Order: sequence, then structure tokens, then C-alpha cells
Amino acid sequence: MLSSFLPDACCREAAAVALASAPDVPASAPDVPASAADALGGLAALAGAFDALGTQAVLGVSLPSPTIFAQYFVFAVLLGGIYGLVALGLTMIFGVMDVINFAHGALMVVAMYAVLVFSDATGLSPFFAIPFAVLLLFVVGVLIYRSTIAPIIDAPQENQLIVTFGVLLILISAVEMVFGSDPQQLGLDLGSLEISGVFVPQGQLYALVIALVALAGTWLFLQRTMLGRAIRGTADNRDGAQYVGIDVPRIDALTFGIGAALAGLAGGVIPLFQSFTPALGDQYLINAFVVVVLGGLGSFPGAFVGGLIIGFIQVFGSAYLGGSTYQIVIFLAFILVLLVKPEGLLGGSADE
Amino acid sequence: MGENPADSVSRRSFVKYSGAAGVTGALAGCSSNGGDGGDGGDGSDGSDGSDGSDGSDGSDGGDAPDEVIIGSNHPLSGALSNTGERMDEAVRLAAMMKNESGGIESLDGAELSVISGDNEGAQELGGEVAQELIDDGASVLTGCYSSPVTSAATRTSENAGVPFVISVSVANSILRETQLNYAYRPQPPADQMAIDHARLLADTIRNAGEEIETAGLFYIDISFGQSIRDALREELPANDIEIVAETAYEPGDTADTQVTSLRDADPDAVIATTYRSGTIELVNAMDNQDYRPDYLTGCSNAAMNDISALEEMGDTVEGGFATNFALDPTSDRAGEVRSRFESEFDSGFDANVAMTYAATEVIIAAIEEAGSADPEDINDALGAITVEDHIAAMPPITFADNGENENALAPLFQIQDLEDRVVAPEEFAETDVQF
Repeated sequence: MLSSFLPDACCREAAAVALASAPDVPASAPDVPASAADALGGLAALAGAFDALGTQAVLGVSLPSPTIFAQYFVFAVLLGGIYGLVALGLTMIFGVMDVINFAHGALMVVAMYAVLVFSDATGLSPFFAIPFAVLLLFVVGVLIYRSTIAPIIDAPQENQLIVTFGVLLILISAVEMVFGSDPQQLGLDLGSLEISGVFVPQGQLYALVIALVALAGTWLFLQRTMLGRAIRGTADNRDGAQYVGIDVPRIDALTFGIGAALAGLAGGVIPLFQSFTPALGDQYLINAFVVVVLGGLGSFPGAFVGGLIIGFIQVFGSAYLGGSTYQIVIFLAFILVLLVKPEGLLGGSADE
Repeated sequence: MGENPADSVSRRSFVKYSGAAGVTGALAGCSSNGGDGGDGGDGSDGSDGSDGSDGSDGSDGGDAPDEVIIGSNHPLSGALSNTGERMDEAVRLAAMMKNESGGIESLDGAELSVISGDNEGAQELGGEVAQELIDDGASVLTGCYSSPVTSAATRTSENAGVPFVISVSVANSILRETQLNYAYRPQPPADQMAIDHARLLADTIRNAGEEIETAGLFYIDISFGQSIRDALREELPANDIEIVAETAYEPGDTADTQVTSLRDADPDAVIATTYRSGTIELVNAMDNQDYRPDYLTGCSNAAMNDISALEEMGDTVEGGFATNFALDPTSDRAGEVRSRFESEFDSGFDANVAMTYAATEVIIAAIEEAGSADPEDINDALGAITVEDHIAAMPPITFADNGENENALAPLFQIQDLEDRVVAPEEFAETDVQF
């Protein structure tokens, strides 16, 4: 499935919005590229058109103003991109190694605090700290694999699950002991772009752009390099890969390292727009599991499609369903996909 | 992976273990309130609440005991430990200061001793830790910060017939679901917080010649936030303030969507009931969307009474209002206790710590009144006691039959120069309101 990567329509749409709202564009609306203003204006017009059709009278539902609708849409895309990024490493490790990495959220947390420490210690922008966190997490991932997963890689899946759960507890407890449990934030004031009354927080925008770059980079790595082909070969058939001379244990270590590095990337970008605690990783992880199943196990584009679906449900559900009802909808969608297309939306196609 | 026959098994395994992850996460969330802040939740309903008439612990009769043991049941590790440790230190300081002044007079100078248990902020440990403290000889307990934990601990102490004075826990249900005869709460519970917030906020703003007609609620969607929300639904209209928007917040999320909804409804006041990180996210999202309601307020909102959080949030919260329990700013003794705590433990004396100290003062007064270390005698004393000399900004503490403080009060603060200053009611005001 890793070999079936193609940018899908939703990703292209997200990319269009992201590119249209390029981060170096000044905040004032007249300076924003016409394409961005057009895109958001189009959304606003769509909402306005629904309103004009008398939806309120027919359905008894009060539609938001076009600007507010466009604002929700932007937040849904931004949030969906983050969920996609969080799910990327998770789906990769499972796709290649059949290991469900419970420690994924904890690895994200390590990256969050690594960014904090690096930028505090060096005085450099947190943007410079993100590559540091990615490298650090790659090394941590390989170490975790070598010391805990490799000895039991052929054992039943439960064993690896429990081991990664143990790693989670150790990492989170260590972070808590060193940094405490109070929320931390980087103190960045990145501000927002305003386009036709719609605000695009730059922290989240950068995070989305980084997520898309990570997606493209990982895809290129898997498709265009020998190592990437070896990883895909191992994902397709571990025994066969061994027969043709691929060093499967080394590929496993590399895959776990890359998966941890992707967790590091996700954890590294979150402080750009949100305060964080040692518990934050787990809160993202729960939805990431849903994203992976929705999109299709081992599917990169599926991770982003799943992320966007969860993002839209969360934002619009939170706005219109009251309380935390959106969480029920998320899990209903999860169950629906399992019933109708159990391989996930973009998973298990015949050409794999 | 796709066409491999093993895939269906793997997929099934993934879903199965994801489900396990979800359950684990949900349980973790329940037990630790989502990872930050301290209060909330209605917790378990307990079971019976037997009268515990034996009061077997403690040393009664004959000679006066040498010491009386207070059990402190707080989160000393885990997500709530930062505040929990300071609450535990407040209990110790109150005992230490009493010992320094000669101990329990009615017990010939018997010393107070504090034993601590770590509930980790986990509901399932609340009762267990309470039982351990009782087994170790505690004559009276205090705790627990997180409402579900307190709910479990009070039921255990009820069954053992040992009095429990709640340090901090706001959920109404702790003392209202079941009649408890050994549990007492000096602080204002959720409904009292809402009553005081709606009344004091409306009066203060209108008396200054300003207007407030509508409000939007931003609350954390666990029982702590829901308790306050439900009470505000009644109390705000009673004070001629219409609720035009309600937005729920989940721990760990940003507040972007919620702020957009509030922006759309355009209320005069946004009332936030969340923990520290939720309030910071609210302010971040308001900054990102350039949104400023006329009044940003907090009801039972720890961040609005935390100097470091206020500094972190900056100008956006300047001039905002908050209602919470508080250290009495007009009392010299309260100031001395604050200084002593800060020098003794080198940590901040915030509202939660102050309320814990006040709760321990109530315990000490009851032991003094009882002249005994017997839990039953201390419980009798608590039921009838009136504590006038305490450091909280509220009238004398005295308990109703259900264990709630009849005179509980949550004063109104205003953020001035990024410090929380009491502005109402008048008897506790340290400064005038500013617009």
C-alpha cells in the first residue's frame, strides 16, 4: 500500500488553500494573492448561496454567515492536516512492521519538549529546533527498536503492543519528572493572515505546509531510493524481502526510526500553535488511530484523507452539535467505514 | 500489505488494539481529567454511607494524646502534582504554625502531625489512599483537588467514620448525591460560584455605569465545567444577562472553533470555565482572530488567579474579571501566611493553596474545639463549628447539614496590571474596579 501513494483530491485542495495563503503574505487583505482571496471568497459565496436557498426555513438550521462558514472550513483543513501528519508515522510503522506503536504520542511529546529546550538553550527560532527534534527522535526510535522491539519482533503482536505501552509510560514519566505537568508554550506570536474577514493562524499554516512537505518527502524517499524500495518490499512481503537479500532487521530499525522521526516532526510543529503538556501526545494519538483505520492501514494519502475527515467532523461538529458530540460522530464514521469498506477509504486496492 | 492473506488479521488486530488504546486513553482521561488543571467531575456516587459510629481510630479517653494526625490526600505525582504538592505543603504549614504556637491547647499542647498520601489525581486511588491514611492513624482527612477523586475519598472516609474536610473540589455532586455525615466543604461549590459570578459581575459593571446584557460560555466539557455551565444557565438570566452562545472545550484541543462561534454570537461577556491550559488556548485563539469581547471573565477559572498564567496571556486578559475562592486581601494574617509559605517552600501561594490552608484551619479549630483526637468527637465539633479566624475571603465558616459552608463566597477579581485584585464584595475589596 505504501507503493500506491498519489496525491488525492483532498490533499490537492488543502495544498491549494495552503499555498494560496502563503506564510510570507502580509496580513492586510489587499496584499493577499488574488487566488487566496478568491478561494475563500468562493467558500463564502457557497455558504451564502445555501442561505439564499432558504435552508434555515426548510431545515430549521441557522446557517452561519459566509465569513464564519469559511472560517470553520479553514480551521477544518488546518486541523485535518495536523491529524494527517500525526498519523503518518503510525501508519508507516504498522504498514511495514505490523507493530502498533502505542508510544507514538509519547515520542511526539519528547519532540515538543526537545523544541522547547533547544530554542531556550540556543535562543534560536523554534523553526530551527524542528529539524533537531526530528533527528533526535530518529535516534531515539532506532534505540527503542534495537533495545525493545527487535528481540520480540517475531513474537505475537500483543507482546510488542505491551512493550510500546511500557515505553510510553517511561517516556511520559521521564518528561513529567524533568519538566513537570504545567502547560508550556514557546511564546511565539506568529499572528494570523486575514483574508476577507477570515483568519488563518500562521502557526497552524506553517504546520500544515510542513506536513505536506513531509508527506511529499517521505513519498519521494519511498519511491525513488533503493532504501525506500527495500522498505516497500519488506512491507509487501517480509519473507520474500529476506529471500532477495534485503536486510529486514535493518529495514525494521530504519522504519521505526523514520516513524519516530515523523512523530518528532508532528510533535515539533504542534508547539508552533498550541500550549503543550506531557499528556497532549495521547490526546492526539487516540484520533490518530481512528485516522489510520479510516484512511487505510499503511496508506499515506489515506492518512491525510482520514485526517481531513476527522478535522471537518471535529470543527463543524464542535460548532453545531453542542458539547463534545462530535466525538460520537467521529466514532460513528469510524464504525461506518469498518462496516462498508473495512480496508479503509484508500486501503487495499487490487494493484498493490 | 494489501493482498496478503495475513492483512485481514492484521487489520482486525489494529482495530482491536486501537480500541484498546481508545479505552485506555479514555480511562486515563477520566482518571486524570485530561492532563491538566485540577478540579471537575462528579465522580462515583458512592454506595451507602453508613454512619460509622464506632470511630475506632484515634486515642480517646484517659490522658490527652501527644499528637493528632491529619491525613493529607492530594495528587503528589502525575498531571496535577504541581498544584497538589503545594496543597499538601499548605496542610503541613498550617500544622507547623499551630505547633509553633504551642500545639492544641485543649489537648495540653498536643502536636499536630501530617501524613500524606499520593492519589495521583486518579479516581480509583482516592478511596484507597483515604483508607491507608485512616489505617495509619489519621483522625481527620483533607483532600483531594480533583472532584472525582474527592468523591471516592469522602465515601471511604464516611464508611470508616472519619471526618473529611475538602481542601478544594468544586463539583456539586460530591456532597449532594448522597447524604454524607462526615464530609465538609469550606469552599464555594459550583452553583455558589455561578451565583456569585453572575451577581457580582452584573452589579459591579452596572454600578459603574457600564452595560452587560449578553454572555457566551466557554467551558471545559467534563463534569466540573458542566456543573458551572448548568448553574450559569440559571443565574445569568436571573441577573438579566442572556446567554447567546455556549461552546464546549476538550482538553488538548485549540480553541479556534469555539472563538469563531463566540465571535459570531458577539456577546458582551465571554465567561470561561476551564483549567489553565484551556484559558491560555482561548486567549491564543482570540488573539489569532483579533477578537475582543467587552468583558473576558472566568468563573472558577484557575488561570485568571495565577500570576504566571496572567503574564503568559498578557494584555488580552487585562481588565478581565474572575470569580474564585481567594485569600483575604484585607487580612494582615493572610499576608503573613502567604509570605511564610513562599519563604518556607519557595513556591507560589495561589487560590487553591490558600483554600487548602483555610480548610486545614477549620480542621485545627475542630480538634481544638473537640479537645480530643477521636474522629467521632472531631466530627461532632465540625458539625457545630463556626470558624471566624481564617485566611479565606469569606465570612465565618460554618456548615449546613449537608456539609456545605453556609457562608461560602467567591469574590470577584479584576485583572489590573496583570495581577488579580479583589474588587467585590466591598468588605473584601482591595481596590476599585477600573474600565
